[in-house]
Amino acid sequence: MRPATRTLADVVVIAALAAYAIPFFWQLLTSFKPEAELLRIPPLLPSRLTLSHYRVVLEQSLMPRALLNSLGIATLTTTVALVVGLPGAYAVARRPVPGKRWLLLAIVASTAFPQIATVSPLYLLMRGLDLRDTWTGLVLVHASFALPLTVWLLAGFIREIPIEAEEAASVDGAGLVKTFRWVVVPLLAPGLASTALLTFLFSWNEFLFAYTFTVSEASRTIPVALALFPGVFEVPWGDIAAASMLASLPPVLIVVALQRFLVRGLVAGAVKE
Amino acid sequence: MLLLAPTALALGALTVYPGAWVLWLSLQHRIPIFGVARFAGLDNFTFLSVDARFWSAAHTTAVFTVASVALEVVLGVGAALAIHTQRRGRAVALSFLLLAWAMPAVVAAKLFEWLYHPVAGLINVALGRHALNWLGDPAIALAAVTLADVWRTMPFVAILCYARLLAIPPDLYEAAQVDGAGRLATLTRITLPLLGRILLLAVLFRTLDALRAFDIMFVLTGGGPANTTETLTVYAYRALFQTLQLGFGSALSVVVFALVMVVAWAYLRLLRAGSVAA
Amino acid sequence: MSAWGYGATRLIGVLVLLAGCAGSPGEGEPVTLVFKYARILGNADPLPTLLREFEAQHPGVRVKGEAMPWTSDDQHQFYVINLEGRSPGFDVLMLDCIWTPEFARAGWLLDLTPYLQPGELAPFFPSTVASATYDHRVWALPWNMNVGLLFYRTDLLAKYGLQPPDTYEALVEQARLIRGRERDPALDGYLWQGKQYEGLVVNVLEALWANGAPLITDDGAVFPEPARAADALRFLRGLITSGVSPTWTTAADEELSRRAFGDGHAIFLRNWPYARDLFESEGSAVRDKVAFTAIPGRARGEPGAGSTGGAHLGVSRRSRHPELAVALARHLTSERAQRAIALGAALSPSRQALYHDPELVRRNPAMPRLHALALAGRPRPITPYYLLVSATVQPEFSAALVGVKPPERAIDDARARLGHFLGALR
Repeated sequence: MRPATRTLADVVVIAALAAYAIPFFWQLLTSFKPEAELLRIPPLLPSRLTLSHYRVVLEQSLMPRALLNSLGIATLTTTVALVVGLPGAYAVARRPVPGKRWLLLAIVASTAFPQIATVSPLYLLMRGLDLRDTWTGLVLVHASFALPLTVWLLAGFIREIPIEAEEAASVDGAGLVKTFRWVVVPLLAPGLASTALLTFLFSWNEFLFAYTFTVSEASRTIPVALALFPGVFEVPWGDIAAASMLASLPPVLIVVALQRFLVRGLVAGAVKE
Repeated sequence: MLLLAPTALALGALTVYPGAWVLWLSLQHRIPIFGVARFAGLDNFTFLSVDARFWSAAHTTAVFTVASVALEVVLGVGAALAIHTQRRGRAVALSFLLLAWAMPAVVAAKLFEWLYHPVAGLINVALGRHALNWLGDPAIALAAVTLADVWRTMPFVAILCYARLLAIPPDLYEAAQVDGAGRLATLTRITLPLLGRILLLAVLFRTLDALRAFDIMFVLTGGGPANTTETLTVYAYRALFQTLQLGFGSALSVVVFALVMVVAWAYLRLLRAGSVAA
Repeated sequence: MSAWGYGATRLIGVLVLLAGCAGSPGEGEPVTLVFKYARILGNADPLPTLLREFEAQHPGVRVKGEAMPWTSDDQHQFYVINLEGRSPGFDVLMLDCIWTPEFARAGWLLDLTPYLQPGELAPFFPSTVASATYDHRVWALPWNMNVGLLFYRTDLLAKYGLQPPDTYEALVEQARLIRGRERDPALDGYLWQGKQYEGLVVNVLEALWANGAPLITDDGAVFPEPARAADALRFLRGLITSGVSPTWTTAADEELSRRAFGDGHAIFLRNWPYARDLFESEGSAVRDKVAFTAIPGRARGEPGAGSTGGAHLGVSRRSRHPELAVALARHLTSERAQRAIALGAALSPSRQALYHDPELVRRNPAMPRLHALALAGRPRPITPYYLLVSATVQPEFSAALVGVKPPERAIDDARARLGHFLGALR
């Protein structure tokens, strides 16, 4: 193919994929449209842009608090899942564990676990422990739900690390903890990043558990706050658009800034066996 | 062994234990609001077997799963091939796809609720005089919900395929070119067979997700109109938390659980058979 | 904090201790009452002012209003998950009148009977008091009153010399006549709420009652007149298939139908009293062209009755400040507060005297008429299982209306499902 044709083909592909993202960009535009022009199309483009919807969302709704809750819960979930999952992943990857085959099967099976299957007992459990409407409750549930995938991903990344590095360290007399800290973790950093991103996104996006276990601003996360966004007379489309842009801010940042890690994690999750 | 303890403990306490508990709940009549808690045997399940709403939800789940996964595969492979042909701008192209995938399902639902707006929705504006009542017409509401779900999840399939394409050694294609194979032949004889295994995996993950789909229809239509978009999970959730019928709702959850496990098992068998043959 | 403020909070602390509350606040700590409510309709929300008034009357008490989800179904789930078996984070709660027996039976509400003065409830509509009562105890104070109304376009009816219809048959006839003569393709006949939600149950109930077919009797029989019930559903479906009501009726809630009627695109509308204020507001396309009458009956059937509804204020049984919480509920349901709410937010009072209040009548001359219709309204079944019943019949009604199920089958399926679920409760 001639270079000009090639460039044209590249442009066509990018244009097609940009068109694929129109639902997002349309909502972005909506979030800046003046209220009076929302239901009046054509014209497609607004006469002017306004921040009024963002002002309403930030000043008069639960959204700022929900953003904080989501940020806290997703960060804690990621931390807990990594701290708990890393030793387990190391064992799965490196150590002879009796019944490993079954354990791996259990891990794979639990990634397929539907949330609805455990929500009723978890509800009773949360009620019994008085953890409804707390960060702790949701973090526990999210972390345990994310754990199988975390272990699975990390085990895969650990296997990629040449075992010689660890062997050299233990020859030098470093104990397990030291080897782990100074050899495995630094080499694992990109893998850890990928895993952390996926866990964070899972917790940020999760709806069913969050909808059930959070009731007030104390713990309500952003997807729930968005789903229940209150309207008074009519559906406040502009405010909802602004709120959904806030809710997709971290995912968008991750996609734009940390794409490499995200793709790596996604692919690893599916391919490693 | 010690290293595994935290993982095992967490999985045991918050996944396996509730998994057993839900089975026990499904055998009870249990409604905390009214102080009802007694053993019911298979009552809940026998009722389900004649419950028209259950069968309708099962049917909806099946249609939704087959339609969304099929569309995702076709579009996903297409998108992967398209990006793979690109010389420059792959990262930008990927960003557009990932944008859709990384978003909470609730946000996707809100985006499409706005696109489907009867009067001011972009889709109806584009359709002009042929505008449709997307979320209110029982004949097309499920299709509308399926499209919204495909939009958000197709990129997953595309990215897995794209990663596999990157791993295909270029000399395979050069050899094909030497043999005088046309573009179509290269595609059907080399590229698609090599994608086979990863596609099967992608389909597995997507099928499992589609079978338990909840967020998108719960937010977009709430299961309506006339329950035409009510999946098994939405039905189970309504039974559980609209009126706290924990026993009956758990029976529905157990059905979803069993369904997912059976499908997962079948796929894994298929996958194993495939890897032996290859 | 000023010496005065300090003293006042101390005083409140002592008062609260005297009231015998467990877990009284620490010394000098102000009391915070949390009030859960759905944001009231209307641009001039009178609630913040009313809450500040209460704070001024009770120094050292702070009232925090927390908004709830907007739809009745979401609110119910919120309460169910939040109240069941634990201390909720609020003291006073707004509840849909249909939930009172359920919440009372579940032990979530404080029994207000001992707090009431003799005759305190006499000024309220008897029907609202009945729906706040369960097991001969009072569990909530009526806050506002709702009743189903038939709105019609006075200009169109007058143009063709018609009187407002008192049967559905007459309504259909008039809609046909007017639409035939007006030749306006954008003009619909009769708008009502057919979306799958609580509002649908209200609309179908009104049709069932008009056809002499109750949903559930006092002794618990479900659809004792299945043939009549199916006939009522068939009639509603017929409104849509014959074009008297638009096809989007099956997706219509109060606001969607109110808006279309308010834009001048319909002759008749079934809705609640709040719609009148919006029709008469400045810039409305139907200003001075709308009146309301009773929900129609059926020819050779019973006269029509609008379903009643409305919100109550209850006190959480686990409130740490029950005396103050009751005082707040009382303050918000007082005549003064209800007048402010009626003026600012278009919600109809639950106190009968206000319907003849000069200030309110000046603003809305239809108040006395509304009073009569509200008195004639009929409540939805009063049972602790109301929500279970409603949630069970909603999809069946909806299926019949959109035509995916014959009405007879919808009624049969609803009976079978209700039989099973109510059976599990025994």
